[in-house]
Amino acid sequence: MSWVNAVVQGILLGGLYALFACGLSLMFGVMKVVNLAHGDFAVLAAYLALVIVSGFEVPILWSVLLVAPLFGLVGYVVQRFIIQRSLDVSPLTTLLVTFGLSIVIQNALLEAASANSESLQSGILASGSFQVAGLHVGYLSVLIFVTATAVIVGLQLFLSRTSLGRQLRAASDDQETASSVGVNVRHVFGVAAGIAFGTVALAGVAFGMYSSFDPAAGPQRLIFAFEAVVIGGMGSLWGTLLGGIVLGLAQVLGSQIDPGFGVLAGHIVFLAVLAFRPSGLIPQVAQAAQ
Amino acid sequence: MSELEDRLNLSITRRTALKVAGAGALSLSAAAFLEACGLGGLKGTSSGSAGTITIGYVSPQTGPLAGFATGDNYVINGVRGSDPYKNGFKVGSKTYNVNIVVKDSQSDPNRASQVARELILNDNADIVLCSSTPEVTNPVADVCEANGVPNVATIVPWESWYFGRGKKPGEKFNWNTMFFFGLNEFKGCFFPMWDRMNTNKVVAGMYPNDADGNAFRGNFIPLVTGGGFKMVDGGAYTDLTSDYTSMISKFKAADAQLFSNCPLPPDFNTFWKQAAQQGYKPKLATVAKVLLFPADTTALGDLVTNIATDCWWSPFHPYHSTLTGQTAKQLADGFESSSGQQWLSSLGSVHSLFEVAHAAMTSVDNPKDKSQVMSKLQALSYTGISGTLDWTKGPMPGVAIQQPVGVQWRKGTKYPYSMVVVDNALNKDVPTNGDLLPTNA
Repeated sequence: MSWVNAVVQGILLGGLYALFACGLSLMFGVMKVVNLAHGDFAVLAAYLALVIVSGFEVPILWSVLLVAPLFGLVGYVVQRFIIQRSLDVSPLTTLLVTFGLSIVIQNALLEAASANSESLQSGILASGSFQVAGLHVGYLSVLIFVTATAVIVGLQLFLSRTSLGRQLRAASDDQETASSVGVNVRHVFGVAAGIAFGTVALAGVAFGMYSSFDPAAGPQRLIFAFEAVVIGGMGSLWGTLLGGIVLGLAQVLGSQIDPGFGVLAGHIVFLAVLAFRPSGLIPQVAQAAQ
Repeated sequence: MSELEDRLNLSITRRTALKVAGAGALSLSAAAFLEACGLGGLKGTSSGSAGTITIGYVSPQTGPLAGFATGDNYVINGVRGSDPYKNGFKVGSKTYNVNIVVKDSQSDPNRASQVARELILNDNADIVLCSSTPEVTNPVADVCEANGVPNVATIVPWESWYFGRGKKPGEKFNWNTMFFFGLNEFKGCFFPMWDRMNTNKVVAGMYPNDADGNAFRGNFIPLVTGGGFKMVDGGAYTDLTSDYTSMISKFKAADAQLFSNCPLPPDFNTFWKQAAQQGYKPKLATVAKVLLFPADTTALGDLVTNIATDCWWSPFHPYHSTLTGQTAKQLADGFESSSGQQWLSSLGSVHSLFEVAHAAMTSVDNPKDKSQVMSKLQALSYTGISGTLDWTKGPMPGVAIQQPVGVQWRKGTKYPYSMVVVDNALNKDVPTNGDLLPTNA
């Protein structure tokens, strides 16, 4: 019974990881940018939600409606004015630039919000659960899992069905050809970053409710998101969902075997995928057929 | 994928490069340190301008540990304004001016030893005080021990300060002393509360695989089982684990009605929410290392209600300062009105550090003589805002023990949550002001 429970909780935890990872996956898939400030932007979003919740006294879920679009805007601006410029220099410069952004965000948050850990209070949502066949399933975990799945399905539909999605894929495949047929590549990249940052905001708020955060909490989140992306297959959104679930399962089942083995089990799966199937569980080639 | 590998390689190379650079910086500063030591040796014990006593103070004022030092500014301003510090220490017929130099460890052990060296070598500190966690107290104490400067530490479990720095029972540090408490006092504080609850005496233990967690696992669990309780060890989990399902299942299966831990704050936050979700509701939770300060409680919200912990200083302690004559309550109230923030236990400890420095330096012939001051510190016994601190009683040389009381967090009137003293088994001086209530009824 406890194994069944571990599987269920592992899959649900995977939803949180997938939500964290899909922005990273999108940015890499479209622009080949590894955003090292990904986790820090998520923490920044959580702080922003905290300010909105305490400032306007609105329920936490409402704050998402404000934080996510705002972060979309931030993403567009950051892409157009910071990341794109470094992309123009060399793809590797983006690593340094996003690493720098990560340090700036952490220290700015430390200055503005102090080192105290905070959490987004969601009352019964965070502490409540329902029972299915004797298993306790947390409302929040389910909500996060559903959100992650919805975001990834939505993104897939957007990429495959809309005109902007087609432009995005075109720009990702071949920038020069795309621009020669009238695609504004920079704008399109900005939109992709905007969408990615919107999902980062969702992930940050979800994490803020799930646990607590402080200005230095970002990098640890980046590691798990990164592992989920690599396990699933770089740049593949379905892969990211699967990668998140595999990582969550590995961690929870690992700690079921031995509590000290939980986080390590996730790392081992990550390493095994890198060693034996470096293109990930669902390689991007499969996505090209979308 | 090969591109990704390139990127990965690059970031790894970068990280290695940073590490190498860091090591280089370390060896550089070590060289500077050795050189400075040579100079210090030439100067001998006559460092510092005659007639002025310099007191150095190190604490984590910024960074992840900054919560501990929230009240430092207020306390030090108060100390500076007190009669002995403002008008000088009177020793025999002489009066010495006192200069306090404050340094920030930035929550970084390397930075802590660096600022301790600055205090000793640049500011010619006659004594160095330090507080809050082994990450500050241990490196500072090491620097003072190496340079022969008296040092007093607080807010660090004495085992981490003593055994953590390689001493065997009975041995003493030449230049280090401290006051706080240790695992035995956790026992003395928690066990009476456990006994008072009507439970099956099964205790859940959430101890991570880190220095504190392993100290609890190795030394506290034997105390628990020796005290007539049954311990269910949740296992040595890794810090920053995201899911505690297996541990919670284990505690539920064993019907552990008491709960004990010493986790990182975000881990307790995650665990406690998941425990509530998955229906693990211990009758009494007594936590260590987390929920010491009011700022920690807001992150948990109402789930913090009636969680018990230890408290070594509060406005309810009936003690007063040897420097200002203030009572504990006046010190706490003064902090609240000047900062708008809720009182915290470190106020009293930091104030006491300066009481200790004053007590030792005014009861020797020459406060500028470091060995005289040190011998006095090692045999000091005085009563101040933290109650009686007595270095003659042990448990180990250089350690004075405070006796914590059991407190529970409840909804407050002025602030969201406040500490209520519910058990004073270890320290009868402190009146209880509330009943011990079950964490989960």
